[in-house]
Amino acid sequence: MNTGRSAAGAWQGSAGGIAARVLVLGLIVAVALWAVAPLLAADNWTGVAIVAVVTAAGLFVYLTPRRLPVKYLLPTTLLVLAFQVFPVVHTMSLALTNIGDGHLGTKQDAIAAIESSSVKRQPGSAEFRLTVAEKDGDLVFLLASAGRAYTGTAGGLRPLEGATLGAGGRITAAGGYTVLTAAQASARSSEITELIVPVEGGAIRSQGLSRAYRGTATLAYDEGCDCVTGQDGVWRADEEQGRFVSDDGRALAQGWKVGVGLANLTAALTNPKINAHFLGVFGWNLVYATSVVVLTAGLGVAVALVLHHPRMRAVRAYRTLIVLPYAMPAFAMLLVWRDMFNTDFGLINRMFGLDVDWLGAPLTARLSVLLVQLWLGFPYMFLIATGALQTIPPEYLEAAQVDGATAWQRFGKVTLPLLMLALAPLLVSSFAFNFNNFNGIFLVTAGGPFPADNPTVGATDLLITYTFRLAFGQQGAQYGLASAMSIYVYLIVAVLSIIGFRRTRAFQEVGR
Amino acid sequence: MRRPAHALAGALAFGLALTACGAQTPTRGQPSPAPAAVGDATLLIWADQMRSETLKPFAEAFAKENGIKAEVVVVAQNQQQTFTTASQAGKGPDVLVGAHDWIGNLVQNGLIDPIQMTEDQLAGYVDVARKAVTYNGQVYGVPYAVENLALFRNTELAPEAPRSFDELVETGKKLKAAGKVEEIVGYPVSQQDGQSGDTYHLYPLYTSAGAHLFGTTPGGDPDPSDLGVGDRKSVEAFERIAKLGEKGEGALKRSFTSDNSAAAFNEGRTAFMVAGPWRLADARKAGVKYDVTPVPGFKGAEPAQPFVGVQSFFVASKGGNKALAQEFVTGTLASAEVARALFDAEPRMPALEEALTYAAGKDPDVAKFRAAAENGTPLPAIPQMVAIWVPFNTLIHAAVKGEPVPPAVEAAGKAIAEQLKQ
Amino acid sequence: MKRELLLRHLAAIAVTAFALFPILFVVSSALNPLGTLSSATLFPSGASLGNAADLLTGTAFPTWYLNSVLIAALTAVLSVAVSAVSAYAFSRFRFAGRRTGLVALLVIQAFPQFLAIVPLYVIFSVISDNWPAFGLNSIWGVILLYIGGQVGVNTWLIKGFFDTIPRELDDAMLIDGCTPTQAFRKVVLPLSAPILSISALLVFIGTINEFLIASVFLTGDDARTLAVGLFSMLADQRNANFGMFAVGTLLTAVPTVAVFQFLQRYIVHGLTAGAVKG
Repeated sequence: MNTGRSAAGAWQGSAGGIAARVLVLGLIVAVALWAVAPLLAADNWTGVAIVAVVTAAGLFVYLTPRRLPVKYLLPTTLLVLAFQVFPVVHTMSLALTNIGDGHLGTKQDAIAAIESSSVKRQPGSAEFRLTVAEKDGDLVFLLASAGRAYTGTAGGLRPLEGATLGAGGRITAAGGYTVLTAAQASARSSEITELIVPVEGGAIRSQGLSRAYRGTATLAYDEGCDCVTGQDGVWRADEEQGRFVSDDGRALAQGWKVGVGLANLTAALTNPKINAHFLGVFGWNLVYATSVVVLTAGLGVAVALVLHHPRMRAVRAYRTLIVLPYAMPAFAMLLVWRDMFNTDFGLINRMFGLDVDWLGAPLTARLSVLLVQLWLGFPYMFLIATGALQTIPPEYLEAAQVDGATAWQRFGKVTLPLLMLALAPLLVSSFAFNFNNFNGIFLVTAGGPFPADNPTVGATDLLITYTFRLAFGQQGAQYGLASAMSIYVYLIVAVLSIIGFRRTRAFQEVGR
Repeated sequence: MRRPAHALAGALAFGLALTACGAQTPTRGQPSPAPAAVGDATLLIWADQMRSETLKPFAEAFAKENGIKAEVVVVAQNQQQTFTTASQAGKGPDVLVGAHDWIGNLVQNGLIDPIQMTEDQLAGYVDVARKAVTYNGQVYGVPYAVENLALFRNTELAPEAPRSFDELVETGKKLKAAGKVEEIVGYPVSQQDGQSGDTYHLYPLYTSAGAHLFGTTPGGDPDPSDLGVGDRKSVEAFERIAKLGEKGEGALKRSFTSDNSAAAFNEGRTAFMVAGPWRLADARKAGVKYDVTPVPGFKGAEPAQPFVGVQSFFVASKGGNKALAQEFVTGTLASAEVARALFDAEPRMPALEEALTYAAGKDPDVAKFRAAAENGTPLPAIPQMVAIWVPFNTLIHAAVKGEPVPPAVEAAGKAIAEQLKQ
Repeated sequence: MKRELLLRHLAAIAVTAFALFPILFVVSSALNPLGTLSSATLFPSGASLGNAADLLTGTAFPTWYLNSVLIAALTAVLSVAVSAVSAYAFSRFRFAGRRTGLVALLVIQAFPQFLAIVPLYVIFSVISDNWPAFGLNSIWGVILLYIGGQVGVNTWLIKGFFDTIPRELDDAMLIDGCTPTQAFRKVVLPLSAPILSISALLVFIGTINEFLIASVFLTGDDARTLAVGLFSMLADQRNANFGMFAVGTLLTAVPTVAVFQFLQRYIVHGLTAGAVKG
């Protein structure tokens, strides 16, 4: 198809074409220069390399005289790579780790947190008024307590002569020392936090910028044994679990992120707690996604057809009103629907004088979430169908009419196939969306109702909400496990979407 | 907050903390890249809407005094998760305003630093607030407000405060029979989603029947190795709760959430409501004649213990201006002046005794809520609390709906125990 | 014929009623002075504008509003432009990887958004360090992100419609000596006015209502959007003000309806207009 034009023909193009090309070239170069400057300044060579590659690709694609489809596709490709592919790949890489609450950072982070949170103020010990100063570039604490002045450095505490004490008992000046302003001190915030003045039976540490106290670290990391030692015991680093564990099995709260290989991926398959309810949830998930697509598309197309009539009046008004559910913020309306289903106070029971426990029984809860999604989603389908109906050339229908087709035949043979041609990909993508429609379930029923004897799986749970609860009902959030499970959910959606896509393609070839 | 996060909050939480993988996590000691230059230090404070407005002038004054800049940013929701994410990516604040029950999780993630206050300073706080911000023997937050549940009573409909919950139900039923009210009591059995029980609100009744969630360690923290859900007492407690439920007295109903309970109370459709001080403003606006008393327990049983939540200021471990942040939190924010300003902005019981006296003088309801907190226990801040919410919420619904109690309690206890084991 | 039209009207009215009744409920909450949702009835019990006044004076609602409209409009226009161009390639060219590319676009967007937030934060953290204008708390960065999130599904949508435009039309242009780009501009685009309008509208709606990403990446006072601002009214469960929230929800729908009104004529007359020009 695309061989009709010669390469030279495309290049010669019009003057406008050349101008456009120059413009694009200028734009690419300008953006590249703008983007690369801060990267150079930060010595971020990976970033520079990425910018260079992308720029080169852009220049090549738009300067080459050849007619490449990629000319049309490059912006989309870049955007999708950056904002869709990267996040997916990144998430998947997390599945190979134990990342979660208590295991978010590195081992150094954990050690730092363990040590700093173990510092205890010595009961009854004196408090010092602190002044942060500097001598020859080195940080010094000027400490005052009970009218006496000291200097504190990593070398220890020494008496200080000739210090001026200001209001509140803080040292305001001392010979040979430069007192730092708060702003100056703040710039060296981490040095201040880390400066520990050793004294007998403990150490003096800063508390903010104007006070210091005597405190002892009750836990310390020892590189030699790769362990944390304290009064109550020794905690050895366990690189498999990513935390410090004592011989009697107690662990320190702060752990770190470690690779766990395929453990999360296999756990999702083999752990009976996780996979016991899989089939039930999966089945309802399929029913839900399929029903939503069929219901929304059915109603949407039906309404579009109802309004698609040359002598129909007030079409604009109808359209505007019907599209309103889609114009309202979805999350807000989900909450509104949820309240309308309330047994005693909900609008639905009150208006119709019912006493139905809508969201409390499995069947009605399932019907309810479908109804809500129908309401939210049919205007979308209606809009698409309306647009599609407009693009069906009237000649086709006229031709069919001339051939003696009845109205129904015209609809079945001309309108519907053409509608489906336009709608089919959307139906597939709507299926994929609703298969994972987290908010549609979570904001209305939160997955419930739950059987009394099993709080982990509810009647309206989708795989995604079920996954969500498993990962978070646990002791702290387990992102690694959640990522692993989401990979499975994702694979299921992908396979179903591809199957759906293949089926609709058959349709498309017919339509062509 | 005090309850498992709202649905959307949950969704966010799920996504957010994952960012932890951002390799850019600055290790301790490196100042974060932005505010390095002298005079360019910016103290970054994250707060909710209401607090940010009150704190802004104090932050600005502090900044001016010290020759730095200060910025108060509103993080409207999911503060804890957003804080975790941002901190891990090196984009977090220096000071965080939040609830004390975040402490356990933030500490295990190494995100907040202990705050070393002197004994004198600590002595200035009400006991429950001091207890709430102490975790593993360390103080992690500077408390500023205390909140807990109490019983709101419409004094025109029910002049006498009920001495027990049974008496409350009696009165409610009489009023209902007389056609004066539509509901016996506005008791938020369900969370806002209407689909899961509300552990926070049900806890007073649960404890009144003698049951407990966790035991207590010698250090005073909740002890996850002593789980009360599933034991004999907890079955008894839920039997009593079930008796009040939909197949019993009809006092507790799953259709009640915090919002519609308040609506019912404010419109005079019920004489009683179990709620916190955050409902005061609405009740006053609606013009209901009300009184506030402690949540009553079951007749002849233990007193009902409401959860107490303590709002606090935290110092971020990964902030770039830690020394400055400590200074600001222990100096400026811990002052009675700030506590008074915060009270004036929103009537929550101050945690600082000095400000509490001030508040009690301005608003008689403050003393009433304080009395209601008398039997209260701080909402457990230990990370293991996460294991409780989902099973316990489901259990509440099952009991109130009228399902057989013993198997439901057993299932919940088993589910919690399994999660704690991991 | 009369009867048929009557039936059509009856059906349209029934559907309109179904579409409107939850919204009526929101309207009555908006007018309810007590600011609670659950006590509201379908028809307002009182008509208090107090909630509206509170919303407009007590919050930064106007700022949120401007941000949202700006973000949504720019995202709609830009993402439809980018998508239309790539949809054209998918529809008219045959090249290696075409089918794979299409399937990939479909599959990739099935990834749950709340999982993707995380790595996006990583991206934004890097961007913030280097190009703060597009980083955290910048509406420009979020616009870029939204476009990235929308091009996949839009390409699908638009490509589907391009496929329905008879290929003979642009072949004729090519034979007349036009480049494919010219054929695209002069034939395909005008004929696709309805779908381009609809895509833009859908993106506009999707963006103005987007909550998850905006709430994470736009936390600053000046950068917040309507959805985030509104949700924060409910986020504090204990002080939820449904009255204000309801007013805000209704006002949020206003720009959407305006855009729809504006685009309706293109949706309706797109074909004829295109035919005249073509």
